[in-house]
Amino acid sequence: MDFRPLNELERRNLVTALRGNADGNRVLLMDPKDTTFAGTADDVPDEEVIHAIKSVPCHY
Amino acid sequence: MVLTDEVSRTLFAEYAAHRKSDRGREEIGWVLLGVREADRAVVLATLPAGAERDAGEAHVRFNSEAQALASRIVRQSDRRLTLLGIVHTHPGRMRWPSSGDYEGDRRWVSNLRGGEGVFGIGTFESPNRTEPTTVGGHPREHILTFEDLRFDWYTLAGDDKRYRPVPLELTLGPDLAMPLRAVWPIVETHAARLDRLARLIAKVRFEISENAGVPVLVVTVLLGEPGHQVRVLLERKTVRYVYEAGDAAFQADLPAGTAPDQGLFLLLAEVVARP
Repeated sequence: MDFRPLNELERRNLVTALRGNADGNRVLLMDPKDTTFAGTADDVPDEEVIHAIKSVPCHY
Repeated sequence: MVLTDEVSRTLFAEYAAHRKSDRGREEIGWVLLGVREADRAVVLATLPAGAERDAGEAHVRFNSEAQALASRIVRQSDRRLTLLGIVHTHPGRMRWPSSGDYEGDRRWVSNLRGGEGVFGIGTFESPNRTEPTTVGGHPREHILTFEDLRFDWYTLAGDDKRYRPVPLELTLGPDLAMPLRAVWPIVETHAARLDRLARLIAKVRFEISENAGVPVLVVTVLLGEPGHQVRVLLERKTVRYVYEAGDAAFQADLPAGTAPDQGLFLLLAEVVARP
């Protein structure tokens, strides 16, 4: 088991993500290979997805 | 890139069904929704091109209004879902995107998270060149096959000179858009109006239900008080409006031909006018 201390940036990102998970049910990502923290998956706005869908070009 | 097993089954099954249909010589396609993770993309939903697509033997343009509304419906359960890419088919054995595809896609990928998209190309072998089988194949890391059908998978970023074959994994999981297939004709009929409704009113929910075996797309608008809501029930040829106030429910009769969003606002106006 690895107890490698986090550096300052890693620690800040993890704390922010844990607070987001506790306060707003934000998803925490885990690396499936070693279960380390792999960031958060941000919600994507509807309009961003819809703009991408409506701009799909014709395919040949 | 990771495909769920149901997404993979959807693509093969709907491609096979398309080839047997009246429009089977046309190209067909799907939009792919999924989740981008640190080092992989997981495809979790397929949105079909739709009956109102513009397609021929050498091109396909999806019914994007229906796909836009469908994306709202699918994403109600998971706001992380984003557009990962598209799949389309070729009539011959050209198992990679065409130069025309490249011209459109290399600009379009700038609209995607990460500036990179995944692209699948569906093709088929003549039946006498394939062995009968009951399981799919994975002959190369970017190719999936089943019976006489085949999908080749690529990625493209905006500054790429060419598409790059992308290794595929399969995992157990859903096609989150599968329940929408039952109401897809309703989605196509009312897509523009319902999408506009969702932009105008924040507390709109879409659900798929059935009435005596007939698929129903239910649009629910929550009103201020608990238990108070307006529902629009869309079937293939009928639209019904219901106002629920606690334990009481009222069906509203509106003039024939009233568009569902118009009917909803007429009903809301009636509700607020009452003491």
